[in-house]
Amino acid sequence: MIDALMLVAAGSMLTGMLSGRFAPRLWLVAMLAGQGTAFAAAVSVLAGGMPWEWRSAFHVGGESLHLRLDSLSAFFLVLLCVVGGAATVYSREYWTDRAHPRSAGTGRGWWSALVASLGLVLLVCNGLHFLIAWELFTLSAYFLVTLDRPRREVRAAGWLYLAASHAAVLALFAFFTLLAARTGSWELGPMRERAELAPLFWLALFGFSLKAGVFPFHVWLPSAHASAPSHVSAMLSGVTLKIGIYGLVRFSGWLPVPVGAGWVVAVLGVVSAVLGVAFALGQHDLKRLLAYHSVENIGIILIGLGFALVAVEQGDTVWGRLAFAGGLLHVWNHGLFKALLFLGAGSVLHATGTREMSQLGGLWRTMPWTAGLFALGAAAISGLPPLNGFVSEWLVFLGLFDATVTHGPTAWAAIPAAILLGVTGALALACFVKVCGVVFLGAPRSPAASRAHESGPAMRGSMLLLAGGCVVIGLAPVIFWPALDRVLGAWRPAWGGAIPPAPLLALGCFHMALAIAAGLAAWWLWRRANRIALTRVLTWDCGYKAPTARMQYTAGSFAGIITEWFDWILRPVRHDERSVAFFPARAKWTEHTPETVLEHVVAPIGDVAMRLSTAMRRLQHGRVQAYVFYVVIGLAVLACIILTGGRP
Amino acid sequence: MNTVLELIFRLAWWLILAPLLPGIINKVKAWVAGRRGPPVLQLYYDLARLWRKSVVMSTLASPGFVIGPAVAWVALLGAVILVPLGPAGAALSFRGDVLLMLYLLALARFCTAWAAMETGSAFEGMGAAREVSYAVLAEAAMVAAMLSLCVQTGSVSLATMLAPSAGAGAVLLAAGLFTVLLAENCRVPFDDPNTHLELTMIHEAMILDHSGPPLAVILHGASMKLLLFSVLLTEAVLPMGDLSPFAATGVLLGGVLTATVGVGLVESLLARFAFQRVPLLLTTAVLLCLFALLVAWKGGAA
Repeated sequence: MIDALMLVAAGSMLTGMLSGRFAPRLWLVAMLAGQGTAFAAAVSVLAGGMPWEWRSAFHVGGESLHLRLDSLSAFFLVLLCVVGGAATVYSREYWTDRAHPRSAGTGRGWWSALVASLGLVLLVCNGLHFLIAWELFTLSAYFLVTLDRPRREVRAAGWLYLAASHAAVLALFAFFTLLAARTGSWELGPMRERAELAPLFWLALFGFSLKAGVFPFHVWLPSAHASAPSHVSAMLSGVTLKIGIYGLVRFSGWLPVPVGAGWVVAVLGVVSAVLGVAFALGQHDLKRLLAYHSVENIGIILIGLGFALVAVEQGDTVWGRLAFAGGLLHVWNHGLFKALLFLGAGSVLHATGTREMSQLGGLWRTMPWTAGLFALGAAAISGLPPLNGFVSEWLVFLGLFDATVTHGPTAWAAIPAAILLGVTGALALACFVKVCGVVFLGAPRSPAASRAHESGPAMRGSMLLLAGGCVVIGLAPVIFWPALDRVLGAWRPAWGGAIPPAPLLALGCFHMALAIAAGLAAWWLWRRANRIALTRVLTWDCGYKAPTARMQYTAGSFAGIITEWFDWILRPVRHDERSVAFFPARAKWTEHTPETVLEHVVAPIGDVAMRLSTAMRRLQHGRVQAYVFYVVIGLAVLACIILTGGRP
Repeated sequence: MNTVLELIFRLAWWLILAPLLPGIINKVKAWVAGRRGPPVLQLYYDLARLWRKSVVMSTLASPGFVIGPAVAWVALLGAVILVPLGPAGAALSFRGDVLLMLYLLALARFCTAWAAMETGSAFEGMGAAREVSYAVLAEAAMVAAMLSLCVQTGSVSLATMLAPSAGAGAVLLAAGLFTVLLAENCRVPFDDPNTHLELTMIHEAMILDHSGPPLAVILHGASMKLLLFSVLLTEAVLPMGDLSPFAATGVLLGGVLTATVGVGLVESLLARFAFQRVPLLLTTAVLLCLFALLVAWKGGAA
């Protein structure tokens, strides 16, 4: 049956790629059919647990095509299909032919290519084909990021994305060729017992974590995710980052892992989590802020994966299982709520034309659906019960607490990780109170914000679908445990077949009760307030008669306390023009948080490389006499080598 | 039948007893200052009065202005249900419920801060910003404190974590938790609940524009949070599990009363700190909890 489903999916994807440009309706149907059938196939593998394999005599690049859908691939394929499907529907209304006559058609084509190549990356079982599919998805993502090419910052972001992606591809190229050289074949599969392959993990770690946007390698991420059209941002953040995680999980499962790798991954995770959210707090561009939160959430996933690897190293699987299950579930959860938030930000951008938070405000009045759904996503990403973000963070936390309780050496890492994970949650909460408060509440800060309009049914519907996913995982986490269990089994065969941790059921029941109680209490209080006369007056502002929207607290001032604590790494650029005269004069204050790693680490290295290259270029100036002179010198040197003891 | 009765008793403890605590604090403060002070039951009168009053809402506010306090109150109620009550144990106990409790407090914070941002007033923005910023350090201290209890007892469930005493690190843990109690409940030296200057407040600045039943819900929730922290502090430090039910009840009541009187005394004897020094004090609380964790670690290893 999966054969048939996969065939339909492949056919639909092909139709989508071909029809994207000219037949948008057919494209939409084909894309939804393709993602729907792939989703069905993935769910049946996750539910039944039997991997699907398909080998063809057809050769690509001299290697026969070999696809495999095991529970690990299926787990990521489900995410791809759900987020991809929602964003596909969203894009029909968001990036229309009418508004973007130049890029809408090509955008649809590249979108199909992106979804199809992402699916291929998840399915292929051959190093060469993996590289080909990887490169395809990198390129199609590049063309999607730069859909709005006339704008300069979009081109700059696209270039940075392409350069960083190819640094990752380079590492992966080395990884797969070395692997093929040592095993004698491009075929991939479990080879845990070959200890000599372990050092290759470091190459994979570099390549995949660059793609996943782990902290020091995240330099390309904020600008690419902020400049891309919002449905593309949702896909990039919700799914393509997770492909980096997929690579890490896949190859840490199939290949032996060097000693100490788990610790490195866990440290990378903790650093990404805390610094990602710290950078997010410093941002005033809505989508850039969301992009930094991806760094944070990838960090949480890596904490789970890292401690799982540590557990493998120590032969202790009980708490490692919990941490890994939490990290995995966070892959789904982050995909769902981050895509929801990016689509919400897209609706705001669509309605107001700006991503600058200092220009927004009071949008709940004109966009109640978007405001409500964004708030749900914000609560989910802050890890608040009863939503899905809490469930996965809770599993990771439980793993860390258990690791501490066992009193082993792991505790020295688990204690700081647990405390910093708590800090990350509190920081994310602060950040999302800021975002929701500044964007959706209060008074509009610009005419554009006051003229905003609610988005149409396609955009709202896709946001509703993602929000529904967040709620279902939050209220009934236990029904997703079998899927997690199968993935655990696919990763380390000894880890499968665990019974669901009983607290997950209790947690689900508690969440359910909490949601019902909160709904009832809210309804009751709202009715009570309305019944005993509700009067509306101006906000009290110490007796001002006419408050203006500019008197509201801004995003920068809201985050000011915390960003000051992180000044050492954020290095904000402040511009302060105070009024020094006796009478009130013009005063000005601007603050901007640049991408520190990019400006203080990558840019200087790039400068040095450019200077060296410029110096080298002086050798090549176009004068033939000098070139003849080079040849003479070269011959002379060769002659010297041969005359003075070189072999005859 | 028994479980229903038990649940009613539990809810009664939390819902009815909670507003007593601010009354006791005010009485202590009045006593130290040599005044007569408001009656101990003042908050009950206030709540009854507010519940009947009409609501004034900002023209900018969305329904979230009213829904926020309601959800925050439910979240606090959920958190207190998870806390074991001395001899009666917890109504619901499972592995990891301690984390659920911490995150329910975070949910309450999110909703209160959301409701504060509704009005677009700079005062409320200021209060919300302070609340969520200082909570970052308080959260670190709470996680460290809970970890130290976990290490001490080898369990990740509140009911067993809180039964024995905190061992050798009890004093450190008590000091750390008490500081967190003061910060999380917005008491002196972090915040002054009695001041009339909006610029210097945290919690009170957030709820400036609330009135009527929503304000009553917020005030009741705040008193429930204070009771939760006092119960947590008492049970973390004292060996509740080793006592007979009767003695344990007495010890619990005594502990809560001591904590409340302590808050009143701190409030009478200390001035509010400048805001630059608040993070320092909270960092001290984090360190105290961390040291308690180290002591528990060493004790457990022996």
